[in-house]
Amino acid sequence: MSLCGSIEKGKGINMLYINDLTKNYGSFTAVNHLSLHIPEGDLFGFVGPNGAGKTTTIRIVCGLLRASRGSVRIGSTAAAVGSKEMKRMIGYVPDFFGVYDNLKVREYMDMYGSMYGMHSRDITKLTDDLLELVNLSDKKEVYVDTLSRGMKQRLCVARALLHNPRLLILDEPSSGLDPRARVEMKELLKNLHSMGKTIVISSHILSELSEMCNSIGIMNRGQLITAGRIEDIMQQISGGKRMHIQIASGMETATRILKEQAGVKIESVRENEIMILFSGADEEISALIGLMIQNQVVLTGFYREEGSLESLFMQLTGGGAQ
Amino acid sequence: MKLRWNPIVKKDLQVTARSMRLSWGLFAYEAVLTMAFLLALSVIQQMGSSFYSYGNVYGYLIYLFPVLSVAQVCIVALIVPIITASAISGEKERQTFDIMLTTCMSPFSIVLGKVMSAVLRILFFVAAGMPIMALAFVVGGLSWSYLFYFVLTIILLSLLSGSVGILCSALCHRSITAVILSYAFYFVIYILTFLPMMLKGLVAQVENMGESMLPLLFNPIIFYEEFFMQLMAGESLFGGETSNFTRSEVGFLTYHLSQGKVWMFLSAACIFLLSFLLLLAAAWKVNPMNASSGRKRKQN
Repeated sequence: MSLCGSIEKGKGINMLYINDLTKNYGSFTAVNHLSLHIPEGDLFGFVGPNGAGKTTTIRIVCGLLRASRGSVRIGSTAAAVGSKEMKRMIGYVPDFFGVYDNLKVREYMDMYGSMYGMHSRDITKLTDDLLELVNLSDKKEVYVDTLSRGMKQRLCVARALLHNPRLLILDEPSSGLDPRARVEMKELLKNLHSMGKTIVISSHILSELSEMCNSIGIMNRGQLITAGRIEDIMQQISGGKRMHIQIASGMETATRILKEQAGVKIESVRENEIMILFSGADEEISALIGLMIQNQVVLTGFYREEGSLESLFMQLTGGGAQ
Repeated sequence: MKLRWNPIVKKDLQVTARSMRLSWGLFAYEAVLTMAFLLALSVIQQMGSSFYSYGNVYGYLIYLFPVLSVAQVCIVALIVPIITASAISGEKERQTFDIMLTTCMSPFSIVLGKVMSAVLRILFFVAAGMPIMALAFVVGGLSWSYLFYFVLTIILLSLLSGSVGILCSALCHRSITAVILSYAFYFVIYILTFLPMMLKGLVAQVENMGESMLPLLFNPIIFYEEFFMQLMAGESLFGGETSNFTRSEVGFLTYHLSQGKVWMFLSAACIFLLSFLLLLAAAWKVNPMNASSGRKRKQN
């Protein structure tokens, strides 16, 4: 049975619809009945170990590979994968930046703009704006092959944005980049997200994704294990929010109150700390704290444990990423 | 409607123009052409000084034109597959081909752009060889229109060689394999088209060759032989008033096609058609929506 990862986001409409996508290479199934809907304006992270099927999925969406089964749709259009209409809606950044010798940054942008059928006047104007966005304005007349890898990757993002796509897809955008270039790339993507672009990133670097993305999809062995907002998945997996309550006095009273509350499960009780799993709303937490204080419990600390994407990933897939 | 450059042609020409390879290529082309000229000149001088020529060396200088033309044809036929055979596979090796395929350019536009850029590069070479070619015109007897017709045939040959190269490039993942496959393809077009005729004439030893010569319509060697025969002697390689063939020697179709200039024009049309079909096959092969799903790509 296929798992459909649908990320609810207010009233927003979905940008990318992947329905029952399957890709077979002979007897090997690279993507197995993948269904996923990504809302407009989302920054979606595609996570999975090597061979999970992330790149295959991305290549199918971009029209670089034919699916064995299933369908891909962007927004409300009914354009077929690989059609010009679909290609106009997607900006694709591969994991590796291929270089042409003797081609300047301006000419590189001009070439790809022409490939999208844009007029040279529009290309020139957009090139200036996009190079400024990716912080490469001063490199316009520089040969592409002389740029650093980080610069090339940012140029590739600028190139992918040239035709103003509705969906930007990046396959391992940070692979091979130094820490500084990674930070710059992350900031650029956050910037684009704040501008309202729908972005899909596939990456191994989970810490980076957890900082950038508001939703993720975890793939393993061609199947989508789960998809949704990071905090929702965390909560879903752990069964609630994990809270640490540090107590100076009134430990027994506090334990009794917590046991009596619905939606609270005591995980551990130490000398001065109780760890609970809370499945109620945020307002109910403040009511719970108020009740403990009313009952003469002296609290010295109270905090919510932030689950990491790494631990979640390991729990779901049994490892495989950084 | 404004005529737009194919972006691939524009990019390829920009990149090539800045490369030292173009300069070295032009130098080599000119050098080979000069050697062909000097060799032809020394042969002509020997012929002019023979007993029967009465010392009239100028009468033979007209043959510089076909000699230099054939030299150019040979160079073009040899270098165009090298240029185009690495066109698609080179993009694949650089990993730029996927990006190209995600743009609005159709696979046919991509392969056509690659072949056209190769044809234009060849025209640079041919233009650079014009001063040497012009030496054949110094002594007269030739019309400048011959040069124009020759350039047209060079474009046709470049198109065929380029289409062969681009198809092999689309079929292979490595440039070197694509170049080797291109020359294997050449063997089929240039040599195997003689096979039906040879089988009929040598093996079966029948007097009537039938239509076994028709595959030669696709053979550039026969096309150029016919082209130079028509241009220099005004008669066909096969037929006409002073025909090599009689109706009893060849089939009905071959006999009628070999009359006048029909063979030359029909052969040009066949070569053009073959080039177009090869381009279509290359475009079909590079289209990811048509690619077979047997090969497993890198996955993450």
